[in-house]
Amino acid sequence: MKPPSFAYEAPEALDDALALLDRHGDDAKVLAGGQSLVPLLNFRLARPARLIDINGVPGLASISERDGTISIGAMTRQRTIETSPLVASRAPLLAAATRWIGHPPIRTRGTIGGSLAHNDPSGEYPAVLLALDAQVRIRSQRGERVLGIDAFLGEWLSTALGPDELVIAVEIPIGSKHATYGFAEVAKRHGDFALAGVAARFTLDGSHIGDARIVAFGGVARATRLTAAEDAIRGRVPNETLFGEANRAATAAIDPISDLHATGEYRRHLTGVLVVRALRQAFGEA
Amino acid sequence: MSANEGWIGRRVQRREDLPLIQGKGRFAADLTMPDMVHMAVLRSPHAHARLLGVDTSKARELPGVFDVLTSADLDGIGEFPVLWQLPGQKASGIPVLARDKVRYVGEPVAAVVAVSRYVAEDALELIEADYDPLPTVVDVESALKAGAPVINEAWGDNVAIRHIVPGIDATGKAGDIDGAFAAADAVVKARFKINRFSGVPLETRGLVASHDPLTHGLTLWSSSQVAHKQRTQLASVLGVPESSIRVMTPNLGGGFGVKWDCYPEDALVCLFSQRLQRPVKWIEDRREHLMGTVHAREQVQELEAAVARDGTILGIRGKIWADLGAHIHSVGIGPAWVTGVSLTGQYRIKNYYCEVIGVATNKVPSSTFRGFGGPEATFATERLIEKAARAVGLDPAEVRRKNFIQPDEFPWFSAGGGVFDSGNYPAALEKALEEVDYDHLREEQAGLRAKGVYRGIGIGCYIHTSGFGPSFILGLVGYNTSGYEGSSIKVDPQGGITIYTGMIPLGQGTETTLAQVAADQFGVDFNDVRVVWGDTSQTPYTGFGSAGSRSNVAAAAILKAAEVVRDKSIRIGAHLLEAAPEDVVYENGGVQVKGSPEKRLTLGDVAKAAYLAHNLPKGELPTLEGTYVYDPAMFTIAFGCHVAVVDVDLETGEVKIVRYVVVDDSGTIINPLLVEGQIQGGVAMGLGGALLEEFVYDENGQLLTTSFMDYLLPSIHEVPHMELHQQVTVSPHTPGGFKGMGEAGMFSPGAALANAVSDALLPFGVEVDRMPITSNLVWSLLPKS
Ligand SMILES: Cc1cc2nc3c(=O)[nH]c(=O)nc-3n(C[C@H](O)[C@H](O)[C@H](O)COP(=O)(O)OP(=O)(O)OC[C@H]3O[C@@H](n4cnc5c(N)ncnc54)[C@H](O)[C@@H]3O)c2cc1C
Repeated sequence: MKPPSFAYEAPEALDDALALLDRHGDDAKVLAGGQSLVPLLNFRLARPARLIDINGVPGLASISERDGTISIGAMTRQRTIETSPLVASRAPLLAAATRWIGHPPIRTRGTIGGSLAHNDPSGEYPAVLLALDAQVRIRSQRGERVLGIDAFLGEWLSTALGPDELVIAVEIPIGSKHATYGFAEVAKRHGDFALAGVAARFTLDGSHIGDARIVAFGGVARATRLTAAEDAIRGRVPNETLFGEANRAATAAIDPISDLHATGEYRRHLTGVLVVRALRQAFGEA
Repeated sequence: MSANEGWIGRRVQRREDLPLIQGKGRFAADLTMPDMVHMAVLRSPHAHARLLGVDTSKARELPGVFDVLTSADLDGIGEFPVLWQLPGQKASGIPVLARDKVRYVGEPVAAVVAVSRYVAEDALELIEADYDPLPTVVDVESALKAGAPVINEAWGDNVAIRHIVPGIDATGKAGDIDGAFAAADAVVKARFKINRFSGVPLETRGLVASHDPLTHGLTLWSSSQVAHKQRTQLASVLGVPESSIRVMTPNLGGGFGVKWDCYPEDALVCLFSQRLQRPVKWIEDRREHLMGTVHAREQVQELEAAVARDGTILGIRGKIWADLGAHIHSVGIGPAWVTGVSLTGQYRIKNYYCEVIGVATNKVPSSTFRGFGGPEATFATERLIEKAARAVGLDPAEVRRKNFIQPDEFPWFSAGGGVFDSGNYPAALEKALEEVDYDHLREEQAGLRAKGVYRGIGIGCYIHTSGFGPSFILGLVGYNTSGYEGSSIKVDPQGGITIYTGMIPLGQGTETTLAQVAADQFGVDFNDVRVVWGDTSQTPYTGFGSAGSRSNVAAAAILKAAEVVRDKSIRIGAHLLEAAPEDVVYENGGVQVKGSPEKRLTLGDVAKAAYLAHNLPKGELPTLEGTYVYDPAMFTIAFGCHVAVVDVDLETGEVKIVRYVVVDDSGTIINPLLVEGQIQGGVAMGLGGALLEEFVYDENGQLLTTSFMDYLLPSIHEVPHMELHQQVTVSPHTPGGFKGMGEAGMFSPGAALANAVSDALLPFGVEVDRMPITSNLVWSLLPKS
């Protein structure tokens, strides 16, 4: 469990980091919190010739609000997000979900940019950011682009990032004041990757459900919107019968994998249960 | 009694802790030496394959590589022998490096020594091993099928042994098992599956071997639980005199039995060190630990119990298939044999029959682990009792009361052939039920169910055979090791006391407890007793080596060695005080003439005289020391009762432990604080196996659980608060009344939880007959509505 040898760079300016990525992108890896990358190196599952450590690059770790958007720098630690008053008031779903990531020591190192770029299908952040309709700000020497989260996320650990590109920030629209959310997951132990999880954000339209974004994760190729469940509840009055409909629509729509931790059948069932739990969190035991 | 007496029974803080928590411990990984080089091991990626050849030429050329070994270089090197050769068990041994064939994923194929572990691992990637994959068998069912691939060709099939345990009484007369079943009002049958899990200590295995050209000797620093046994085995494998090897153990970060065994790496570091004339270090990484260190526990059990209407269990019979993995390891089918003789538990069940079948599979060899076959039996017995109670419509507690061996029936001869020394099983159960408020819980249960709360109460009573064991009995069962512990006590010329023990502390606080025992024997302060351990060149040979439940044996050895030293002090003291030895007693840290406390010498005075030897009684030898080797007279049987209260989430299958009550009885307690720690650790470990831990293989024999992401140990979140209660029933067999206690906590969690979850889900007829009890398992057992 020792990595093969690699070159190590620690740029101290964003431009330097981008220049290094431009030159070495194909056989380089960005090192952020290292909580996913270092185990991969030690198991020799990733064998980059060069690591570009961006921990010393200034300006990538702030949380700010502007024009109805919360912007979170890529190098912001999960622990900072968990304890940020701004996140708690403007994006409470993100704050709530962060507590489910690993354990405090991991969250103290792990970053939101790393979580997104790694895109573990059982990770909380891709799912939550999809539920929140976030944008991902990406930069390379070629320039800057902003991608919707849905377009950013690929299947099974892949993303739309090019080898020379760096995630700079995640931008979350604050949206309607009349919003509510639900987050629920089942893991084998506290802090483990989810067997199944649901992150959901809703708006309220009087006593009716307005917009609904319900995302399943865990055992599926990527964080997945449960559109049939969303359609089933949009514009309707929340109650247990409706939640039951959402459960059925959700379970009919997904087909999770079986692995050593759970069967696909169980994960599917859990997803339905968790959709109901997320709805109850959002609307109370209706 | 002076202030210095009564150390036994005191809640003394562990003397080991301060340096350890200050980071001043010295573990194998901390050791470093001039010119030291590092070993890495190439492990088979195949579960079963012919090994056609291993080409190491490229690896040898890598800069920084010193040496490479394959089986071709091992002429004259033996195999690790099977120590426990139960009569009828097929011959086997563990090769240092695979030759001709690999039999499990992780089996050592070649080894490299290089300037660093990094370079050594780079070199492994350059070794070209040529495999011709063979079909695999990964469970006992497929291993026993006609035409199944045979793992050890010389055996002809995959059966290592079929061993029959007939139920017998004290005179050796067989019971009437068929009669019991014919007379039964009900018969309950079950197929239980015990998962493959094992000891996963915080510290993995670690070794540094150093060949000393001056003495032609070899020093091995080793994280072994059992330095003397390791020395004996290494000498035979390496073909060198035992006297040329010195094994030293630094601090150990846990052992749990898996460091009792010897492994190929032990021999490899020694061989490399001899060849290179340099110190060679190997620290097992976690992946290697999970695929290279012994697994344990895995069994399939098909059992049935004959039950009378009043709850009396008339008999138990059945079969146990033990999944041994690819090689018969050091203890053979020992753990499964222990299961096979133990299924009558603490009950007066006279009719018994059990067949134990050891089966080879393409998996890591299975061997010693805290509990050693006992927890597997406890799971089965306690589940059967529960089922029996349901079958005849009685409360499970009532059926236990009905069948317990009574306190006045000891010594008890169990149907499996065991002799139980002492116990008060009913009292342990009643205490646990009272503490948990059983009657109230039962009343509450129905009301809770109406509210959608599925609460279950599960009892798990256990007995734990400790003080393993009288050497002559080990001989009778073919166990090629012995059961004694030796202890030497030396009083230095200033009167300071040092104990030399063959026990190796694994983290249980052995140094503390042994010093407590000795302090009482000499009437001195506990802090004035030093304990020396972990060096075969200094400490007495220990037959069995250290296991968590051995401090009773070691403590008895200290009691006896202290007697030798005290007697000598009395003789020398009497001479100096000009009194007859019969008139002199040892008291308050010195000797004095009976009835004349002013005629007194301290232990220091006597020691000084003993070392100067200017004026000793006629025939008395100088110096003041004594050695005693204590071979247990009989097994000691610790026991107790756990009660788990759980809530089951019907939607997700998740099990939440609401309460966990433990009543433990391990005879005389040396240090209650440490006993509590051992019980908590044992229960946590038991809960891990009951709920989470499992080595999982796919159908090709690939091990899927090779990191802590997939092999799930319980963490602080999963281990509940435990309500601990202690009872004391002394052992009549050990001096001091001690019994072993380090393993006891491990026995009942599986049974208590399986019973509790089954109890919670009684309305649905759910029976939890396997571990680990995951949420997925529970959900799959629930009816789908
Ligand atoms: C014990 C443990 C438990 C965990 N449990 C969970 C859990 O329950 N849920 C969960 O979601 N995660 C969990 N994780 C993973 C953790 O959240 C990781 O921190 C996260 O996935 C990656 O973030 P990082 O900053 O550590 O990235 P790194 O490990 O440094 O990098 C991960 C990948 O992202 C790339 N990368 C990083 N930053 C950027 C960037 N700005 N631009 C482009 N590419 C980048 C790297 O090159 C690498 O490929 C756990 C980890 C551990 C060790």
